Amino acid sequence: MDEEKRLATKKNILFSIVSVVLLGVLLFPLYWALITSLKTEQEIFQNPPTFYPHVLNSKSYAAQVETGDFNMFRSFANSFLISVGATAIAVVLAVPASYGIAKYHFKGRKVMLLSFLVTQMLPVSVLLTPMFIMFKNMHVYNTWVAAVLADATIGIPFSVLILKNYFSSIPKDLEEAAYLDGCNKFTAFIRILIPIAKPGVMVCAIFSFLYAWGDLAYGMTFILDQEKRPITAGIFNFMGQYGTKWSYLTAFAVVTIIPVALIFIFMQKYIVSGMTSGAVKG
Amino acid sequence: MKKLKKMFRYENAGMLFVFPAFLYMLIFVGYPIIRNIILSFQDVDAGNLVRGTKNFIMFDNYAELFIDGVFKTSLSNTLKYTILCLIFQFMIGFLLALFFNQRFTLAKPIRGILLVPWMIPITVTALMFKLLFATDIGVINFILRSLHLIDNNIEWLTTPGTAMFALICANVWIGIPFNMILISTGLTTIPKELYESASIDGANKIQTFFNITLPLLKPTIESVLILGFIYTFKVYDLVYVMTSGGPVNSTHMLSTYSYKLSFEMFKYSKGSAVANVLLAILLVVGIFYIKVTTSGEEE
Amino acid sequence: MKRKKITALFAALAMTASLITGCGASGSTEDSAAADTGTTESETAEEEAAVDEGVAEESASETESAGAAEAVTIWYYWETEGHQVALDQVIQEYNASQSNYEVTAKYVPFADFKKQLSIGASADELPDIAILDSPDHASYVEMGIFEDITGKFDVGNYYEGTVNSCTVDGKLYGVPFGVNCLALYYNEDMLSEAGCEVPTTWDELMAAAKALTTDSVTGLALCSVQNEEGTFNFVPWLWSTGATSYDINNENGIRALSFIQSLINEGVMSKECINWTQGDVMNQFIAGNVAMMENGPWQIPTMQSEAPDLNWKVTLIPKDSEYSSVLGGENYAVINGGNVEGALDFLAYATSEEKVKFMMDKFGYISADKSIAENQFEADSPYQPFVEELNYAMPRGPLAEWPSVSDAISLAFNQVITGTATPEDAAAQAQATIDGIVK
Repeated sequence: MDEEKRLATKKNILFSIVSVVLLGVLLFPLYWALITSLKTEQEIFQNPPTFYPHVLNSKSYAAQVETGDFNMFRSFANSFLISVGATAIAVVLAVPASYGIAKYHFKGRKVMLLSFLVTQMLPVSVLLTPMFIMFKNMHVYNTWVAAVLADATIGIPFSVLILKNYFSSIPKDLEEAAYLDGCNKFTAFIRILIPIAKPGVMVCAIFSFLYAWGDLAYGMTFILDQEKRPITAGIFNFMGQYGTKWSYLTAFAVVTIIPVALIFIFMQKYIVSGMTSGAVKG
Repeated sequence: MKKLKKMFRYENAGMLFVFPAFLYMLIFVGYPIIRNIILSFQDVDAGNLVRGTKNFIMFDNYAELFIDGVFKTSLSNTLKYTILCLIFQFMIGFLLALFFNQRFTLAKPIRGILLVPWMIPITVTALMFKLLFATDIGVINFILRSLHLIDNNIEWLTTPGTAMFALICANVWIGIPFNMILISTGLTTIPKELYESASIDGANKIQTFFNITLPLLKPTIESVLILGFIYTFKVYDLVYVMTSGGPVNSTHMLSTYSYKLSFEMFKYSKGSAVANVLLAILLVVGIFYIKVTTSGEEE
Repeated sequence: MKRKKITALFAALAMTASLITGCGASGSTEDSAAADTGTTESETAEEEAAVDEGVAEESASETESAGAAEAVTIWYYWETEGHQVALDQVIQEYNASQSNYEVTAKYVPFADFKKQLSIGASADELPDIAILDSPDHASYVEMGIFEDITGKFDVGNYYEGTVNSCTVDGKLYGVPFGVNCLALYYNEDMLSEAGCEVPTTWDELMAAAKALTTDSVTGLALCSVQNEEGTFNFVPWLWSTGATSYDINNENGIRALSFIQSLINEGVMSKECINWTQGDVMNQFIAGNVAMMENGPWQIPTMQSEAPDLNWKVTLIPKDSEYSSVLGGENYAVINGGNVEGALDFLAYATSEEKVKFMMDKFGYISADKSIAENQFEADSPYQPFVEELNYAMPRGPLAEWPSVSDAISLAFNQVITGTATPEDAAAQAQATIDGIVK
């Protein structure tokens, strides 16, 4: 902390004010969704619009608990499990892979890198049928496992491409020092590089998690039972069901966003400090 | 000679690290890619999906695409959308990354909160922007009216040109944090000593930016742009939920058109062909990416 | 902390090894996948449970051991809770009434229904009964996934249009579940306030819509989304002129397109309709933002419960040269290769007069069986106008390529609504597309 040069007080205040304004502008859509969910339908249609709910209406939230056929908490838990599973696979497979690509100039390296990219190039429409057939043959159709396996295919190549840069930025002498200490390739990787690449690994885990969290098509196609489906599928149903009943829809949106946002804002402290401490020290 | 041999073995060990991930992707995505290519050369529709013979008609599906107006619209839409999104989200993301790289008190917490748009499932984002851009109750129309920029409400989502604009806005909003966080992390890999020695040498801020920051950020920038291109180019959820390709097909992208052909009109082979055009374009971008990022590595 | 990570990594390596050996040994994706899922399972106990459950379900449906009830699965797409509850009740009663079959119904969202059936057909993973939108029926018959049930059901009393929708080449591939059609709802208070008569012709409709339109109210709304739902709402106007679904580029077709365009141009219908589903249109109507709407009878239960004080009535869709409406509703279809016996047994039960009456009432549908429909409602029931409208209602298709024809029709109407094409150009373009499909 001491070595960090703080800005002069005046500048510090100015920058902080600017950042708060930026925050306000960028997060306005969220604020709008939040207050819309708390308005009555009449107030939503009021002109000029109100910028805070004049009559507080919590009915749209209550309605979500009351509707029997769709259990929000369960679908939230489903999404969470699916995302954690997909993230675990992505990190476990992508971290060594990106290390290999960054540090070893083996034959076919470029081809492999390209293949990882290629896997991201097909639109979801043509992946659904073949994946479905595979999952059915594996007997995981209509289970979380199918969504986990499918969602990991988004996280892996993405993480490889991102992490590759981290590993490249780590100086070779670090590794060489490890070899001198008697490490072999794998122990060097585990003992020296993983801790150093921690911020990168965190970022990759977060991205994998969020890709899985936001997935709609896989969760909806490979899981048929409502009670096993992720929350995104629930929102999509709601949109079909409630059309332009904005108080309901935005209430649903808020309930979806707030928990995950809290998790990440809370974790952010750790991530940002990891990031800004720098991947490389000496 | 011995050294060379050892070197060769050493480099190949890298393969072991990559192989598991590679195999995973090969199984789950490699097979669909090959199946899709075969399908695009066949004549599969509702009539012969399950029973009946599937004939190879070679390039007929592709030929058909080039006289298909919706395909042409989708192709140009996808390009327009991708490029405009990239430009805006990269520029804004970069500026924000530089801004939050300054060490002021609120920098870290606010940068953290700014990631929220990226965390939100796209389905939800699409829903929120539909609300913002609604004609009568939309707050965007209200703000523009209050500023006297418009007299009458703009029918954002029901007019072809403006519907595209609304989609781009939504996607840029999602993309800003993505660009910001990757560039931020890229900035942290630049050793502080470089800036210190530059300032000792009397370089000003603009000089340090162009001589130190940009060159050292090159790998990050390349990743951000190319990955951004690939993920934006195959946009699906956002368009599907916000406009479903409408009004009058004006916001169809290659991905949504492929989906529509395959699952709404039972033209499976034609849908595959559209997807392969998307694949082919991205493949070119991908090869370019590999060329750029690995050039200079091999002496 | 560190130790944990290392253990995790070893687990990963072990998994990798099993992946490689699994694949090398047999070369099948199934093996490697099994190894793969093995590791995933151990990550969370819940997932494991999910797999077990999945396997258990599978074996329950595959082994047809004596004594145990055979499973019969149904897919349907109704999101309305009332619909789901009603169907569920009939299923529960059926399951309690016999011990051979155990029926379960699964909700598949409408937006996803076609996709799920298509993929399911490719992967041979289909239910035993599908309850699907009638215009799509012919496409799936062509796909070959529906069982020919000719002679197994007496559909003699059913409305002709509904039977046609599940008949291909003289063979019966389904049973109509229930019918509906579109009619014109109007807000009685608004109409009397504006001093309008109930419109019966297009001219009267236009005049009424103009009189009803105020700063906060638009005269008329009809769902105009660019898909089958939009086509459903457009064709009554098209057909009323004498044009058919396949013959649009003529005076009649252009007149229909021009009329819809003039509704927009006169400001008596909102362009937003292209984003409104039929449910949205109904919500606008009960919110008092719209004075008249084209909609179906299935909205009535919701309208009655959500806006009990709203004063509304239903009448025939105003005509150009002839009254016209469109036949909607779902059909039951039996999937071939599934549990055909069980499916047929359930259908026999569900199509009995008592069950049909029960479900139709809960759904706000009209029975497809004429003999039931005629006595289904009281004379002053709000449903009665729909029964009358049924006399003018025609089905879409049946045609295996209907989705493509429908796409051309809804596109043409969307073009004139958004002003991106003149009625003449839109008609010509639609005709070119349709001619390419129906030769």
